[in-house]
Amino acid sequence: MNARLDSFSYDDAIVRKFLWATMIWGIVGFLIGLIIAIQLPWPGFNLAPYLTFGRLRPLHTNAVIFAFAGNAFFTGAYYSTQRLLKTRMWSDALSKFHFWGWQAIIVAAAVTLPLGFTQSKEYAELEWPIDIAIAVVWVAFAVNYFVTLTKRRERHIYVAIWFYIASIITVALLHIFNNLSVPAGAFKSYSIYAGVQDAFMQWWYGHNAVAFFLTTPFLGLMYYFMPKAADRPVFSYRLSILHFWSLVFLYIWAGPHHLHYTALPDWASTLGMLFSVMLWMPSWGGMVNGLLTLRGAWHKVTEDPILKFFVVAVTAYGMSTFEGPMLSIKSVNALAHYTDWVIAHVHTGALGWNGFLTFGMVYWLAPRLFQTEIYSKKLVNLHFWLATFGILLYVVAIYSAGATQGLMWRAFDETGRLQYPDFVETVMRLIPMYWVRVVGGTLYITGASLAIYNLYKTWATRPATYEVPVVQAAPLDPVYVDDHAPEAGGFWARFTHMGWHRRWEGMPLFFSVMTAVAVIIASLFEIIPTFLIKSNVPTIASVKPYTPLELAGRNIYQREGCFNCHSQMIRPLTYETERYGDYSKPGESVYEHPFLWGSRRIGPDLAREGGKYPDLWHVRHMKNPREVTQKSIMPAYPHLETNLIDFPSIQRSVDAMAMIGVPYGDAVNNAPAMAKAQAEQLAASIEAAGGPKGLADKEIVALTAYLQRLGRDLKNASGGTP
Amino acid sequence: MRLSDIMSAANLSAYAEVAMVLFLAAFVVILLAIFAPGRKRTYDAASRMPLDDEHPQTPR
Repeated sequence: MNARLDSFSYDDAIVRKFLWATMIWGIVGFLIGLIIAIQLPWPGFNLAPYLTFGRLRPLHTNAVIFAFAGNAFFTGAYYSTQRLLKTRMWSDALSKFHFWGWQAIIVAAAVTLPLGFTQSKEYAELEWPIDIAIAVVWVAFAVNYFVTLTKRRERHIYVAIWFYIASIITVALLHIFNNLSVPAGAFKSYSIYAGVQDAFMQWWYGHNAVAFFLTTPFLGLMYYFMPKAADRPVFSYRLSILHFWSLVFLYIWAGPHHLHYTALPDWASTLGMLFSVMLWMPSWGGMVNGLLTLRGAWHKVTEDPILKFFVVAVTAYGMSTFEGPMLSIKSVNALAHYTDWVIAHVHTGALGWNGFLTFGMVYWLAPRLFQTEIYSKKLVNLHFWLATFGILLYVVAIYSAGATQGLMWRAFDETGRLQYPDFVETVMRLIPMYWVRVVGGTLYITGASLAIYNLYKTWATRPATYEVPVVQAAPLDPVYVDDHAPEAGGFWARFTHMGWHRRWEGMPLFFSVMTAVAVIIASLFEIIPTFLIKSNVPTIASVKPYTPLELAGRNIYQREGCFNCHSQMIRPLTYETERYGDYSKPGESVYEHPFLWGSRRIGPDLAREGGKYPDLWHVRHMKNPREVTQKSIMPAYPHLETNLIDFPSIQRSVDAMAMIGVPYGDAVNNAPAMAKAQAEQLAASIEAAGGPKGLADKEIVALTAYLQRLGRDLKNASGGTP
Repeated sequence: MRLSDIMSAANLSAYAEVAMVLFLAAFVVILLAIFAPGRKRTYDAASRMPLDDEHPQTPR
């Protein structure tokens, strides 16, 4: 036993910074959400080219995930880690670098996404320079965190910290591997993966971003702040350990359930489904564990709004982790995929689980960090009720919107034809529910604004200088000695005594490495076959790369965020092939860097759009969709008729594509000239059909060329005219 | 010969199933280890860790 005591204090200044960032970015993220919620039922609200739905939707998701939830995780992690380890963070400078670096990245996202700089992969939209910055800041955070672990004065590492460790490691892996790309300019890049492989990587990332950015960090927070607020230990520590290992072992497999019935090989999506269903049990174990932590304290819940927030948060966790496995079952997924159902599902999780856990935590922290009383408990209560009703309105409306549209898509009449062949019919039916969502979202934002006001007033009554309590604790012995190891009983007794597990915990880096190994092995088992076994992606001889002009058009399609509302993936289901044409084959996407399969159909699928309408139709439709389809909710893009095509940049795009293996042939030398030739031809045909003159150097021509190419290669193979 | 030729010829179609069995086995081992009797005292100490900001619950 070491008799010497160290004196130290906790760094709460960094926690205060992250707390303000959480709330301020939260409001920003919610507001952008409200704007895009209004844009759907009222397309006129797409006020400027920079503020269209396609550009703001990624900003909304990035803001709430990485700015709001991210900062909330950091707030709670910096507060709880220091106290659970009985040590200060190793380096205040790295903590500050982490804080300012992260906020700078968020500002960069808020600027570049409306400008149309995007990788077009959901929740990984940010372009490569920002991706590098994210990796640097994340590594700084990780280094600070792991060195702090080695300086701890508590032998056992509490389960919340296991969740943090898993999150830090896995997010780094996901981020790096999903964002590998070849730059074609300062803010343009192409994923090194194509088609099926890119889709696989993206949803391996996308699902685990939900798992390791929105679930495991928040479970860590739950396992720390719920016992704190209830003033009693977690119901079952055993269950929390089981919860941890189950999530680490199972979550990483679940990604392919985002790609059911797509061109992804069947075995992969079945595997994703099985693991998703298995996730249900540990998730509910965790939910029960959280709720039962309040055993004997339920009377407090009626009085303490903080506990109310936690109870709803954990209940929402239970609901969304029940729904998630259910949605991953193929037959349920067939109905729900591409509809608003999934939107409702994620908002149960984001507004309920992440939002309410954050608010509960913030209200618990505020008086302690600002060393004063909370300004108004009544306002906290009001916030709770406004936000609860807001969530209810939101999800009830959007669940019914999802089910309604899904059922309408698959409805056949008695003669065997689609009952609603006109896509826009299935959209019009949703408009009233979209307005209900606007009301729900407004209530939620009002609640969050009350929180900011309440926090500001609380902060205003802080002491002139914060008191910094000094804590004393003995350092750890350098070597861990298991002093009550069983002497008899053989291997099984030693094994179940778990001394080995405590030794692991004693070596935080080793423990982290083991966690990483579990995650990596699972990933490789899934990813390698998809990438390396040729029969998984049969090639189709008639599938050729896009022409330089079509590629330029595809860049515009990406820039405007068209993939946010239009899928390019027809599932092999009768009602899909009836509506859109032949189902999509894996071999059709081999040159798709990145894949643009989409995940939501606010508008119809475009995989077989090419040749469906005349060129002039596209020109008129882009200028004002309502001129062509009266009830369309698509934003208008009149600027495409005046914006000039950036011909020199086409060469950079072609070169980047050629570098990652797209056989571009002649275009590697004279892409701009080839693009110009094709543009002039297309512009002439538009003019001949009675369209506007002089479009040969305008963006609309490139976009039209791209749209008219979609799905044509397969038609050519079956004997159609080129 | 490229890597993908080798991998395609290696007949790894059972790969995923093998992985699933491995992971389930690891999971069962963890389950047994966690719920084996005789660890209550250690778990109780650990579960009290969030409640005390100043005194280590599992020192040394």
